[in-house]
Amino acid sequence: MFGFGLPAKIKRIVGKEAVLDRPEDLMLYEYDAGINRSMPEVVCFPRTTEQVSRILKLSHERGVPVVPRGAGTGLSGGSVPRKKGIVIGLARMNSILEIDLANERATVQPGVVNLELSKAVEKHGYHFAPDPSSQKACTIGGNVAENSGGPHTLAYGVTVNHVTGLEVVLPDGRVVEFGGKSLDAAGLDLTGFFVGSEGTLGIATGITVKLTRLPESVATLLGIFNSVEDAANTVVALTSAGITPSALELLDGWMLRTVEQALHAGYPMDAGAVLLIELEGISEAVEEDAEAVRLICLRMGAREVQRAKDENERQRLWMGRKQAFGAVGRLSPSYYTQDGVIPRTKIPQTLRKIEEIGKRYGLQIGNVFHAGDGNLHPLILFDVRDPEQTRQTLEIGREILEYCLSVGGSITGEHGVGMEKLSMMPSMFTDDDIEVMTRLHDVFNPGALLNPLKVLPSARSCREAYNPGHPSLGESK
Amino acid sequence: MSATATAVDIVSALRSVAGDVQSAGPELSIDEIRPDAIVIPRSEDEVAKVLRFSAENGLALIPAGGMTKQGIGGVPDRADLVLSLRHLNKVHHYDPGDLTISVGAGMTLAGLQQVLAEHRLFLPLDPMLPGQATIGGVLAANAGGPLKSGYGGAREFCIGIGFATVDGKRAKGGGRVVKNVAGYDMMKLMIGSLGTLGVITAANFKVYPLPRQTATFQCEFKTAIEAAEFGRKVWASSLGSRLMCLEIISPRAQEYLNDGWDPRDPDHFSPAAPVKHHTAWTVSLRANGSDAVLGRFSKDLGGAISEELSGETEAAWWRWVSDFEVKLAHRHQNAMVIRVSVPQSQVADALSAAEKTAIEDNFVCSAVGRLPAGSLVVGLAPLAVDPPSAMQFANMASALRGRLSRDASAVVLRCPTEAKRHFDVWGTSPTDLGLMRAIRKTMDPGRVLNRGRFIV
Repeated sequence: MFGFGLPAKIKRIVGKEAVLDRPEDLMLYEYDAGINRSMPEVVCFPRTTEQVSRILKLSHERGVPVVPRGAGTGLSGGSVPRKKGIVIGLARMNSILEIDLANERATVQPGVVNLELSKAVEKHGYHFAPDPSSQKACTIGGNVAENSGGPHTLAYGVTVNHVTGLEVVLPDGRVVEFGGKSLDAAGLDLTGFFVGSEGTLGIATGITVKLTRLPESVATLLGIFNSVEDAANTVVALTSAGITPSALELLDGWMLRTVEQALHAGYPMDAGAVLLIELEGISEAVEEDAEAVRLICLRMGAREVQRAKDENERQRLWMGRKQAFGAVGRLSPSYYTQDGVIPRTKIPQTLRKIEEIGKRYGLQIGNVFHAGDGNLHPLILFDVRDPEQTRQTLEIGREILEYCLSVGGSITGEHGVGMEKLSMMPSMFTDDDIEVMTRLHDVFNPGALLNPLKVLPSARSCREAYNPGHPSLGESK
Repeated sequence: MSATATAVDIVSALRSVAGDVQSAGPELSIDEIRPDAIVIPRSEDEVAKVLRFSAENGLALIPAGGMTKQGIGGVPDRADLVLSLRHLNKVHHYDPGDLTISVGAGMTLAGLQQVLAEHRLFLPLDPMLPGQATIGGVLAANAGGPLKSGYGGAREFCIGIGFATVDGKRAKGGGRVVKNVAGYDMMKLMIGSLGTLGVITAANFKVYPLPRQTATFQCEFKTAIEAAEFGRKVWASSLGSRLMCLEIISPRAQEYLNDGWDPRDPDHFSPAAPVKHHTAWTVSLRANGSDAVLGRFSKDLGGAISEELSGETEAAWWRWVSDFEVKLAHRHQNAMVIRVSVPQSQVADALSAAEKTAIEDNFVCSAVGRLPAGSLVVGLAPLAVDPPSAMQFANMASALRGRLSRDASAVVLRCPTEAKRHFDVWGTSPTDLGLMRAIRKTMDPGRVLNRGRFIV
């Protein structure tokens, strides 16, 4: 598919040392943290917006597919080059361009690591609120593409709630700006529309985000329950009581035993489930809410409620949650995480359904998830070397998501559609819904060369024909 | 064919598409443009059919809810039909335990709040005239109020949206759950698109527990700079996390923030209604919390507090602030209202720029604004020297825009029709206009929706 001399041309744009084209190097870029694979033909690492623009122009002229990539921590195959071609790694565009404390904004390049931004503003009493579990590695550009969440998004919102402006390179190489530091620019909210478009509309090369002040006080509680049912009902009881924890995470009994064996986080071995509850804010409110949470947990059947006495204890309680996936890795050659969302009140029945599905297939499923917003992360344990188990695992994932949809939920809360859930889109959206989204896709990405075969099952990228013209752009009226 | 005959034909043909079609009376006018008929569909399918009918017959259509914000946007090029969403006013789905609700676009905001209040929930959205304003209209215009400081705008809690397109489709984005990244975020695109991409027929929201207790602390300052500095300091402190509203209010705006006065032009000044003359800039802080939390406010703010409001007085105060634009327009028929959006550090500068420009162009300036959001409502009443000229409004808007920074925008929300023809009510935007036009064109190639009003 490659025209002769394209790697050379790319080397001329970004420099020799910023291009990989040997098979052994390219292999590292054929996957993300999910299950899909496809190898690119060349990987490059631009350092400037102008270089990104020139690469996209080249792709546009030559009809070569391009896929943007941050840290590769995505879970839905969003950065996997399905149609091969060029991977643009944005890791070297990692400068924080501006910290504007007076306006509670920062402007960053896409390759800045999520946690690095928080660290940079911590001394001023601020942080960047979206905190995906991969925050030590994942990039803010990737967060924008996926509209990433994290445990603390329950109170603070997901990435889109924290992005106010973007510099974007369109698939034909044009550089445009959306929004800025202020909230309501005249015209359409293309900033909001772009966030979560999974690299199918353009590549964000400059990102202006809100900075959020650090809380005065934090309380971290662990509610220990004999049954997952009681823990799930407590989630509804807490929110109904008007308490908005900053995080509200649930680990089921199997999961917490697995975590405890691996990490010794102090979780009880014989419990049915635990709730990890964090409260943040002004100390008076945190103290009152902590007491209210304790009482509600006990009323809902908790056998014990622990509270972290200091930062060390808090970190220990969180360690179990944050490293849960790693703990599972000790037990099973492979695992597959799903990302369905359900209305909060449907958590108990959905967990029962997941257990039933797991038993039917004879595979172990653990649950560790963002209970406060109903975002499930069932972990299915399997052996990837066994094709039958792999097939069953994918079937389980699909069954779980179909159940989520049947109770009014969604197929993805924070991992994205990518290539993984492409086939599920028609279960959630009608042909007309998808047709409208496809029309909008084609306004930005008419040739479907940028991140092809993602998000939309009917996007033009599914047809092989490539029309280099941009019929919908350029003319007004 | 005469214009009247065309109108009659339209009405009769439309009757076969949607049940409820009425001839428009002479009182119905949008910027002096008079539509021929009002069609009031009874279902989302009927909305889609009316849109397709309009596209097929080359009609220009204006979607409408409670008609509270039809002054926004340029003068329509044409308007054959008004499409009223008022029959789509039902709750579609509501489970208080999930803290989500789905409603038809024609439901009024007050109606929605009433349903939610039964379970001590609310939607933190407080634009003007909630008793008339509909959900669809509030979203289409991206309208908000003082709660924007603490909760953000509709884009933060609209989790799903249903709309009809001009080719007769019913489409949706998002869903009924509070966290969802499946498909493109159609909510963000439709909010603030002023009915130019499709007609919003339904919306789903994440809702919030109604605060058990709130109090409002009024603090007064001599200048806008001192007021803004104080407000931002409180916002950046630990108190900030308990603030629902953080409003900055110009001295003159105080005159509009009350009930009971007769509407009057400066020409009809009534000495019987004495005006308390305010000279101070007010920072109005609405906090949410227990006695202990509110006590912390009293303690930390200390001597800065000039007055504390609670209960019905407090509720009335915030209704007035939400309705500032209406009250101003009631008093001054020719008033211009501009929504100025700036980064928060530029609020005081923007307010000074507005006051200075107003003096130069013979306007009286008053303003209220959400300080941390940098979202200001600037009211400009023309001085009653002569009947105001169209150019006076055009000059005011362009001079103000000239004084604001590159990060700012100034959108004229209300202005006499005659003046609107002489300038762009939207002003410039940092966002690529070519792309916005291309989106508009792909969604409405025949220019059926709100022709001439937005992204032309």
